[in-house]
Order: sequence, then C-alpha cells, then structure tokens
Amino acid sequence: MPIHEKHLIEKQKIIQKDSAELEGRDVSGQWNIFIQQRILSQYHPSMADEIASTPDGRTINRCWQCGTCTSGCCMHTDFGLREFNPRYFIYLAKIGDEEELKKYKDVIWRCLACNKCVERCPKDVRVEEVIHAIDGYMRKKGWMDDTPASRWDDEYVGNVLKTGILDEIMLLRNYIRDEEMKEFNAGYMMRMGMNMLKTGRLRTGPIRHRTKGWKKVRKVAEEILEKDGYELQ
Amino acid sequence: MICLASPRILVIGGGPAGLSASIDLFEAGADVVLVEKEDVLGGTPKKLHYSLIAPDLKPVEEVLDPLIRQVESSAVTKKLGTVVSAIENGNGHVNVTFTSNGGKEEAVFDAVILATGFTHWDPHKKYEYGYGVYPDVIDFKDFEKMLSDDNLARPSNGKMPARIGWLLCVGSRDRQVGKFYCCRVGCAVSIKQAMEVKKKHPEIDTYIYYMDIRTYGFWEDQLYWKAMEDLNVKFIRGRIGAISKGDEGSLVAMAEDTILQRPSEVPFDMLVLTTGMEASQGTVEMAKLLGLEMEEHGFVRPLEADSLPVHTTVENVFVAGTATGPKAIPDAITEGSAAAIKAFNYVRRSRGKKATGRSMKKDARAYAE
Ligand code: SF4
Ligand code: SF4
Ligand code: SF4
Repeated sequence: MPIHEKHLIEKQKIIQKDSAELEGRDVSGQWNIFIQQRILSQYHPSMADEIASTPDGRTINRCWQCGTCTSGCCMHTDFGLREFNPRYFIYLAKIGDEEELKKYKDVIWRCLACNKCVERCPKDVRVEEVIHAIDGYMRKKGWMDDTPASRWDDEYVGNVLKTGILDEIMLLRNYIRDEEMKEFNAGYMMRMGMNMLKTGRLRTGPIRHRTKGWKKVRKVAEEILEKDGYELQ
Repeated sequence: MICLASPRILVIGGGPAGLSASIDLFEAGADVVLVEKEDVLGGTPKKLHYSLIAPDLKPVEEVLDPLIRQVESSAVTKKLGTVVSAIENGNGHVNVTFTSNGGKEEAVFDAVILATGFTHWDPHKKYEYGYGVYPDVIDFKDFEKMLSDDNLARPSNGKMPARIGWLLCVGSRDRQVGKFYCCRVGCAVSIKQAMEVKKKHPEIDTYIYYMDIRTYGFWEDQLYWKAMEDLNVKFIRGRIGAISKGDEGSLVAMAEDTILQRPSEVPFDMLVLTTGMEASQGTVEMAKLLGLEMEEHGFVRPLEADSLPVHTTVENVFVAGTATGPKAIPDAITEGSAAAIKAFNYVRRSRGKKATGRSMKKDARAYAE
C-alpha cells in the first residue's frame, strides 16, 4: 500500500524490504514498507538533572514552554532556521529525549548569544545559557563533536586569560586560521569587523594591553572557571 | 458587662467588598461609616465601566447597583470624595482623620475594615507590546469600556475590526516585571470579552494567545468551553513575544505557535493586553497608616491566609476584597460580608472581655476553630 504523506514521516523511520513474506505467502509489493513506531516510551530525568547542575543550566527547570524565546529568537525567525527552537530544545532536555535531541546536533550550537530570549523570558530562564548547557551536555556525552561555537568559546576564554583583556585581532586571526569562518556568514563577519574598526571598538596596533596585576587575578579566574566545570585548555 | 452602644466601624473603600461589608454591618446594628475617595460608589468595576460580569454575563449595573442602592438608602454614613489622612490606633480606639474638599474631620471607631482594592497593571512597562505607541494595542480595561459603551471600533481609524487578539498574562506571571502571581480573572474575563464580541458580531475573528487557560470551577464550561464550542473563539498556545507594525495599518503579533513549533506572525486589527492586578495605591497607603504587614506580592497579609483570611496582623483591623490579592467580584462581595461579621463580633467580644486582657489574636484563632 502506498504511503500518501510520506514527506511527513522521518526517513529513518521507514523500513522498506525488497520482498516480504507473511504466513508463507509473498506479500511484497503490498506490505513491504514498514514505519517504525514513534511512541515516547520513557522519560530520562537524569539528563535535565545533570544540565541543571551546571552553572549555565541552572535555570532550566523554570521553563514552562510558553515559546516567548522562540518567537523572537534571531536564529529561528530572522535567519529562518526553523529547526533552531530554544523552547523545544529545553523541552527535550527536560524529558530526556536523547534520540530526538541528537537530530539537532548540527543546529543547537548556532545560537548567536544575542540574549533577546533572556531579556523576554517571563520565567527568567537564562535561555541562552541553558541552550549552551544542553550543547555542552551533548558534547560531553559524545553525541556531537566540538563545534565552531565551542571552538570559538575556547579561543575566546584562552585569549582573555592571557592578559585579562580581549585581543580581538588575535581572536579573529586564530579563528580564521582554523577555517571556521566558512561556517559563519563570512561577508557579514567581515562587515562587522570593519564597522568595529571604524568605530574604534577593535583594538589595533602592536601593543598588547594587559590588566594590572593580572597574574594574581588570572589564578582566581581559573579556579572559578574550573570549579564551574569549565575545562581549561 | 456587655456595653450596649453599637460597635462603631469604619469601612474604607466603596467597591464590591466595602459595599457588602457596610450593608451587613448596618443590618447587624453597627454604626457604620463608609469612606470612598471617588465621588461615586461601586469601586473599580464602576469607575472603569466594566461591561458584563462573569459567570452569568450580567451587566455590571445589575450586579453592583442593588448593593449601591442598599447602602444609599440605609443609615450608613457615606463620605464620598473623602480620604483617610491620618490614623491613630491604640487601646482599642481608632482615631481617624478624614480629609475632603470640605476640610478635615475626626472620628473614633472600634474597628476598621480595609476594602481598598486593586489597580490594573500598567502595560506601558512591557514596552515590546507597544501600548501607548500603537493605538490599536489596548488593554483589558480599555476594551471593557469599549464593550460597555457598545462602541467596538479600532482606535486608529474608527472602523470595525475584522480580527481581534488577546494576550493573556501581561504583567502577571512574569519575572521580567517582578510580578510572579496569577491574576486569577484574566483568562475568564478575556474569554468573556471574546464571547461578547462574537455574540454581537459573529463575523469578527477572535484569537486568544495563552500559556495556560485558568478558568477554574464553573468558569470552565460556562466560559472556556462555551467560547470554544458555541462561539468559535480560537485558542493559540504560545505567548506573544512582541507586537510590531504590519501592512495596511495592521498589527503583527509575534509568537511561537508552540503546537506547530513555528514562528507565527499573524496580522490583527486590534490586540488586547490582559493586564494583571496589583494592590491599589489606596491599599498600600492605608496599610501603612494602619501598620499592617504586607505579603511578598505587595498585598495586605491576612493573619492566616488559610484559616483567618479577613483578619489582619492588627487585631481591630479587618480586610476584604482584592486588597489581599487578585479576586473576582463575587469573592470580594463574600469577603465583605465575612469581614463584617468578624469585625462586629470582635468589637462585642472585646468590650465584654476588656477586663480579662486576653490576647485577641489567640481569641481570633480560638474563634476560627
Ligand atoms: S521564554 Fe522562557 S519559559 Fe518560555 S519557553 Fe522560552 S525558556 Fe521557556
Ligand atoms: S541568544 Fe540564542 S537562543 Fe536566544 S534569541 Fe539569541 S539566538 Fe535565539
Ligand atoms: S488568570 Fe489567566 S491571564 Fe490572568 S495571570 Fe492567570 S493565567 Fe494569566
């Protein structure tokens, strides 16, 4: 029997056999397509517990699924990436649906950290942080590799830790060298860089500025980062 | 020795709770003074011209005017256009100073009932909804007035709207604006408003954006189901994040349709913000003058929220209506009566027991048991 609305079914759920036999009779051509069931058959609360125990994930249990974050999310609406739905990610993490969450491993890291969601969420969920925490959880479990976003994070933290002041030029240079730019909208990033240069928000010149007494502060910063579960490179 | 003089009781606030307290006190034989800062009785529902009142969808006049008439025709002393400007409370006597256009006046009471009510939350504070910027974004109370005036029209051009939307929980259940509680009546009243629209103008499309629908008790079938099943009011599960301008003077409600898992940016002719309740300025000021404790949401703290809801932390002060939190009109009326009997009996008992010096708080508790 043909499946009329095949596009509504996830491809991996469709099993097609070349031939099929039922009680000794050849039924292929009629009954050779099977659809795997989609019933949710278990909750896994440990996922949310683990995420909630991280500094970024601590507000996850506040979420009541209103969708305010998604309705204004830049990635979801302006960039039109419909699969990027922070409300839905939080829901999946809360019920612990590993299988469904894994489908978004190429998507979930794309948060722009614009924080519009954080500004609007009526429950004061730190949405941007929570998404980051879910992303981190997925990487820790090995469900996804390092992402351009996580490499950016590492680059950024490493950069700041060096002198206590962000060196944007170095940051961009290292990042471009890692050929991550192509994952982003390169033209957009270049334009932004130029604008930052023009308005003086990008430091240039050979002198690397340094925070006074940084050595001591750095130790404390590293201790805090480590305590918060951040793995220093 | 029981003193035979009538208990002298002051009721502050002439809304549903204050009216019902005054009537019952008067009928019980108390000497009642009702003070109201406005020039008319009826409180916020009358002042802001509410339309029909849930659940029976009776006009506000039919609900409140009988109470107002009873007070007006009784020997309750009515002080309209008058505020309480000073209070001294000690030895079971409350010395009250009234201020009005006519000047100052003083009087002594045995007990006070506070019925100073609530105000609607100011939606200007939720700037992403553009209240005060887009004329067709109106709030709950603006829409009530529109309905009661039978003047349903878009403020921007005076034309009949073809599609109206409601945003529930504006200024309620929202950490961003520091309001953590539910307004209790917003869902019911919004649905009721949509029903009023649909009954008169079935051709207007009505959509209610919700996170939860809280039409507890009989409001469930009397309002929610009826609106959905008989009047074709539509419910969309998602909270609107922002309102922006659309084509041809329309407004776009930007939400996530959480069932579709998709952004929804649908045009509307009018959007109604279902604003929450907060303690009125009068409630806050009077509570301060009376030395009452406030609870964490900014309302008056009842002595025991569960068992002594109309007692306050001051033994000869009682409270009724929305001064202690969001409430529907029938509940406020009930509490007015409850506070009346508690205040009346308190005065009688305290006169009888003055000599024993028993703690009135203990007494109130014993009485409640
Ligand atoms: S806005 Fe906040 S509460 Fe609403 S779905 Fe997003 S994270 Fe959850
Ligand atoms: S911070 Fe991320 S999740 Fe939040 S609105 Fe921006 S892009 Fe979306
Ligand atoms: S009664 Fe309804 S509109 Fe009011 S705060 Fe509660 S859920 Fe929101």
